[in-house]
Amino acid sequence: MRYAFFLGCKIPHYVPHYGISTRAVLDHLGVELVDLEFTCCGYPMSHLYYKSSVYSSIRNLALAQARDLDLATPCKCCYGQFMRTLDVMERVPEFKREIMSQLGEEGLVYPDRIRVRHVEQVLHDDIGLEAIKPRIKRRFKQLRAASLYGCHAIRPSNVTRFENPQGPHLVDELINLTGAESINWAGRMSCCGAPIREHNPELSLAIITKRLTECRDAKADIMIIDCPYSQMQAERAWAQPRPLADRELIYGAILYPQLLGLTLGLTPQQLALEKNTPDAEYLLSFLE
Amino acid sequence: MFLTIASWTALAVLLLGLAYKIKVWLTIGIGPQARDLTPGQRGRAALGGLGQLLFSSRIAPGLAGLLLDGIVQRRVWAHSRLAWLAHQLIWVGFTGLIVLHALGGLIGGWLPDYYATLNPYLFLRNLFGAMVVVGVALAIYRRAKVPGMKVTARPTDRVAIALIAVILLSGFGLEALKITSHRSFDRMVEEFAGLPDEQDLTGLRQVWARDYGVVFPAGTELGDATALQKGLALNEDTCLSCHDQPQWGFLSWGLAQAISPLSVALADAGGEKFLWYLHVVASLIGLALLPFTKFLHLVTTPLLYLVRAAVPREQLSPANLSTLRALELDACMHCATCSVHCSVATALRETGNLSLMPSEKLAWLGRLSGAKGPAPTRRELALVRQGAYICTSCLRCTNLCPAGINLQDLWLAMKEDLAGQDLGPTQAAVRQAQWQKAIPSRGQAMVRLDDQSFQNEIKQYYLADSFQQCFKCMTCTNGCPVVHMYDKPQEHLDLLPHQIMHAIALGLKDEALGARMTWNCLTCYLCQEACPQGVRVADILYHLRHLGGQAAPDLEG
Repeated sequence: MRYAFFLGCKIPHYVPHYGISTRAVLDHLGVELVDLEFTCCGYPMSHLYYKSSVYSSIRNLALAQARDLDLATPCKCCYGQFMRTLDVMERVPEFKREIMSQLGEEGLVYPDRIRVRHVEQVLHDDIGLEAIKPRIKRRFKQLRAASLYGCHAIRPSNVTRFENPQGPHLVDELINLTGAESINWAGRMSCCGAPIREHNPELSLAIITKRLTECRDAKADIMIIDCPYSQMQAERAWAQPRPLADRELIYGAILYPQLLGLTLGLTPQQLALEKNTPDAEYLLSFLE
Repeated sequence: MFLTIASWTALAVLLLGLAYKIKVWLTIGIGPQARDLTPGQRGRAALGGLGQLLFSSRIAPGLAGLLLDGIVQRRVWAHSRLAWLAHQLIWVGFTGLIVLHALGGLIGGWLPDYYATLNPYLFLRNLFGAMVVVGVALAIYRRAKVPGMKVTARPTDRVAIALIAVILLSGFGLEALKITSHRSFDRMVEEFAGLPDEQDLTGLRQVWARDYGVVFPAGTELGDATALQKGLALNEDTCLSCHDQPQWGFLSWGLAQAISPLSVALADAGGEKFLWYLHVVASLIGLALLPFTKFLHLVTTPLLYLVRAAVPREQLSPANLSTLRALELDACMHCATCSVHCSVATALRETGNLSLMPSEKLAWLGRLSGAKGPAPTRRELALVRQGAYICTSCLRCTNLCPAGINLQDLWLAMKEDLAGQDLGPTQAAVRQAQWQKAIPSRGQAMVRLDDQSFQNEIKQYYLADSFQQCFKCMTCTNGCPVVHMYDKPQEHLDLLPHQIMHAIALGLKDEALGARMTWNCLTCYLCQEACPQGVRVADILYHLRHLGGQAAPDLEG
């Protein structure tokens, strides 16, 4: 199994633990990740500059297809951006022609057969739960995990085709695989506040704080995240002075590959647990 | 005499320039931490820091960094083999020329048999020169061919290349002309051969015309075979000890062959003197201007390699961080590696804003901080801000920069400085401008059903005309997590999602674009997912922002 690995812009500087743990887990499961020189996926530009954002998306997909690779990304905002772009290209032929001629100037071909996969889909569907199960060496017990689904992957559902937006189960099944219990909670389908982080930091922080409060109310031990933006938001909330990020709220936010990696027998260093804010070593105490 | 005076003048200008630069490095502030520090404090901190670095165990990683980054050039190698080759050729070649040729007069005394016309010096000078020629040719080729390099090429890059070209061409031209020049021959005979009799002299001419490439004016007596024997003897007595075959100077020799038909005319017209002055003056101008050109990186970049390898950035004191950031502005030699690989260069076509490219942004940071160039105008500031906020902080430029500049750190500091000048995120500024525009009509807007222009603007986007399907059921508003954050949402958001759809239907552009709801949309798509009428609410809010984004560079007037 090989993918062009689309790391996205936020992981290298802000969430390196996500990149490290994802690579470690996928490598452990025999998935080969190919690094190409991609550009921005277009999502950050999409707030103000539409054509740039669409061209960025398509250009990256074209680069992956040129190597005959499907694309896998750990970022839900990148994933949503790619899917939205493919959708609009399919529906607006004159826009597609414009983009194709731009691609042509760079000697690239329109990506007409690429599959875009989020890392969760790679784990859940492409590798498959049944294939992962026998590799699990240790399980978590009595760990209540609240998953934050990630807006841009699940909606608009007819475009992102991630899963059923009314009753999603993909992440729950992944979490339950590790022995942790995926709980239902109020904000699991809602927003982390990241998109307005730069230009309205107060509201952005209030929104992630609300999500964390909802987690606590649901008696969650940890939040499970599979998107660098949401992780940045959660860690930012923890970095605030009390009571905004009261550390008694919940233990912290964990990236799913870190959770899975521990059950697969990878070490905390391989999963960069020490790079989380707060340091995620507490997870070890929940292992059987 | 001229050479002495000119050299000392150039050296004095160089030293004054360096002193000025040191003052700049200790004065300008990038980032808020620099604000309350005096140049004196920064100077002391810099000296203290360097002292600690040089006389502690930190010197080991520092020197290793200097070796690997500076001599081996591993950062350039990782980026492009061709760039690596060009750079190695240029700097090794230039260093060779400076040591063996430019400084030959000073250090020649320590070298065995130092004569410019003897090997190995004759050959090495040409070898080093040829290296620089090839390296510069490769650099020009890359600048013209690599997309991100071409678009960022600056006049100063061309001037720098032109200056090197003049130095090289005049140097090789001078050597070539000296090889062929009958006047040089006459001068050398006068100086070193005493007063040879006529037959010896014609013989010597014959030898030098035959073996050394000297071109004599038509009709010059070159003598017969007997004269040749005498000429060879005289050559052995007086010339050979200082002259190897000029073919060893292979580049000049080739050039000499090419110019030989013109040699007599060029020599008679004083060509040697002209080329000598040109060569010396161009070289000295290059030396004197060093602190004000990108060649200053000869000083700054090695210093940066040393420091960054020895001391992690986060361990620097605020004073030394400020000074290092200032130094980094002068460590850039505008190679454009950052721009070639920039993650958001794809926004260049739509925005037409070159200042989003890292190499150009760094130049703006120089102007913004007062380090070099005039302060930016308001309009330029809007462009700089737009560029600064298109950056996604992906770290790639920092990982690639051959000079080891921590660009990421500079970009984050730059945003703080811009915010300090009331230049926060572009989106916040557009939001604010649109909100202001809507104030006069807020709450008393006239319906503009006769004006279709705004609706047409929105309809250019795919399915944005779905706003027409809205029947104000408020499903979007009721599910919106932003609306949920407030007890009285309208006081904070001006219009709610369903009202914005309605405002578009009524042609109320300022109200729709000016509503804080439009700009605080989280793009979570809950509204669009839930809409019973298939209105693409979240996409339409996106497109409203796209309309606003088009005005971004004009915000500051």
